[in-house]
Amino acid sequence: MSDKHEDGIDFGYQRVPKDAKKGLVANVFNSVAAKYDVMNDLMSMGIHRVWKRYTIDCSGVRKGMKVLDIAGGTGDLTAQFSRRVGDTGEVVLADINDAMLKVGRDKLRDKGIVGNVNCVQADAENLPFADNSFDIVTIAFGLRNVTDKPAALRSMLRVLKPGGRLLILEFSKPTTATLNQLYDFYSFNILPKMGQLVANDADSYQYLAESIRMHPDQETLKQMMSEAGYENVDYQNLTGGIVALHRGYKF
Amino acid sequence: MIWQLIPWMVLERTINALLQQDPNSTERLNQLAGKHFRFSFKELPFDINIAVHTDGLNLSSVDDGGELDCHVRTELGVLPELSDTANLTRLIKADKLDIDGDPMLAQQLVNLVKALDIDWEAKLAEKLGDGMAHRISALFKQSRERFQQQSEMRQRWLKGVLTEEKQVLPNRLEFELFKDDVQALRAQIERLQRKLK
Repeated sequence: MSDKHEDGIDFGYQRVPKDAKKGLVANVFNSVAAKYDVMNDLMSMGIHRVWKRYTIDCSGVRKGMKVLDIAGGTGDLTAQFSRRVGDTGEVVLADINDAMLKVGRDKLRDKGIVGNVNCVQADAENLPFADNSFDIVTIAFGLRNVTDKPAALRSMLRVLKPGGRLLILEFSKPTTATLNQLYDFYSFNILPKMGQLVANDADSYQYLAESIRMHPDQETLKQMMSEAGYENVDYQNLTGGIVALHRGYKF
Repeated sequence: MIWQLIPWMVLERTINALLQQDPNSTERLNQLAGKHFRFSFKELPFDINIAVHTDGLNLSSVDDGGELDCHVRTELGVLPELSDTANLTRLIKADKLDIDGDPMLAQQLVNLVKALDIDWEAKLAEKLGDGMAHRISALFKQSRERFQQQSEMRQRWLKGVLTEEKQVLPNRLEFELFKDDVQALRAQIERLQRKLK
C-alpha cells in the first residue's frame, strides 16, 4: 500500500529510504532471533502453532513435493513440511536473515530433521532459484517485512511450478471494531512491555505492532496477488482477522 | 474454524504417542507413508482427513484440495469391521460402506490402530520402577476381570428375565427355529411363484 510512494518506505510508522529498510529489519531480527520462539508462544498464547498448522493443512502438500518456506525463520513450517514430503521430497528453508536461519538450522538439526531440508539465505524479492521449481511456496509472518512486496510476489510466482500454490500467512485487519480496539490495546501497551521483559527489547516489538498496522489489509493483499499474476486468489480470516491466510495459484 | 483444529491436534498427538510405544508400528507406518485418506461418517457433519508419514499420522477436518488415495464413506460403528477383508463385500452390499480407491489401504490404516500392542507394564516400569509397575498392572488386571465378571452376570440376569421369566424375547433356540421356518416358508413361496408363472 504505502510501497507505492517513490521517496521512501514504511518501517513501522516511520518513513525510511527504501534501501535502508532491509538493514533496519535485519537489526530487528538479529535482536530477537534467540528469543523468537518463546516470544511467539507468549505473544500469541500459543495460537501461532494453530495458524501455522492450518496453513499446512491448506497447502495440499504430498509426498515427493518440493516446498519453499520463505522467511521460514526458526523452521516451524519447514519441520512439518519435511515430514509430509518424505525422503523423496525437498523443503528449502529460506530467510534473508542469517541469525534467524542459524537458529532454524540448529532447531531442525536438534529435532533430527536434516535429510530433505536445505537452508538458503535468500531475499524474497530476488529468489535464487530456477523458474518453475517448487510445488508450494509459503511465507508466514514475513511479507510485511519485505521492502518491495509486488517484486517479492512476482519472484515467488516465477519459482512456482504451473499448478503450484502460494500461501501467505500474515497479520491482517480484525474484522470487528471491538476486537480491533482490544488488539490495539494489546499491541501497543502489553506487547512492547512483554518484549522488554522477555527479550530485553521493547523497540523490536513496538516495530512489530507498527509493521502489522502498515501491512496491506486482506482485500488489498488479495488485489496485489492478482496483479502479480496469481489466479483463484482467496483468503480466510483466522482468529477474527488478526491473521489471514491468502492462497493463490499459478496455472 | 481455527478452533476446530485443536481437538484434531490433541487427538493426533495422542495417537502418535501410542504408535511410538509399539515397535511394530514403524513397519505398518512405512507401508502407508505418503498416503492420504478421507473418512466421511454419516453421523458426523465433517470429514476426517488423515495423512500418514513414517513417524505418525496427521489428522484434520480441512480439505486441502489435494489428491486422495482412499475415500471411505461409512458409519462410525462399521469402522472396526473394516479390518477383516471378509466383511467388505457384505458391508458394501448392505450400503453401509462405500470406498473410492484401494480398500486394502483403508484396512491397513484401521489395522494400524487396532493392532497396537503396547507392553504397558514395561512402559510403567521405566517411569515408576519394576515393583510399583507390577503392582499397578496386577491391580488393573484384577479390576478388569472383576468388571468382566460383573458384566457377564448382569447379561445372564437380563437374558433370564427377558427370555425365561417375562418371556418378552425368544431364546436363541426358539429364534433359530423361527428363522428356519421363515426360510422354509420363503422357499415354498418361491416354488409356488414359479409354478404360477
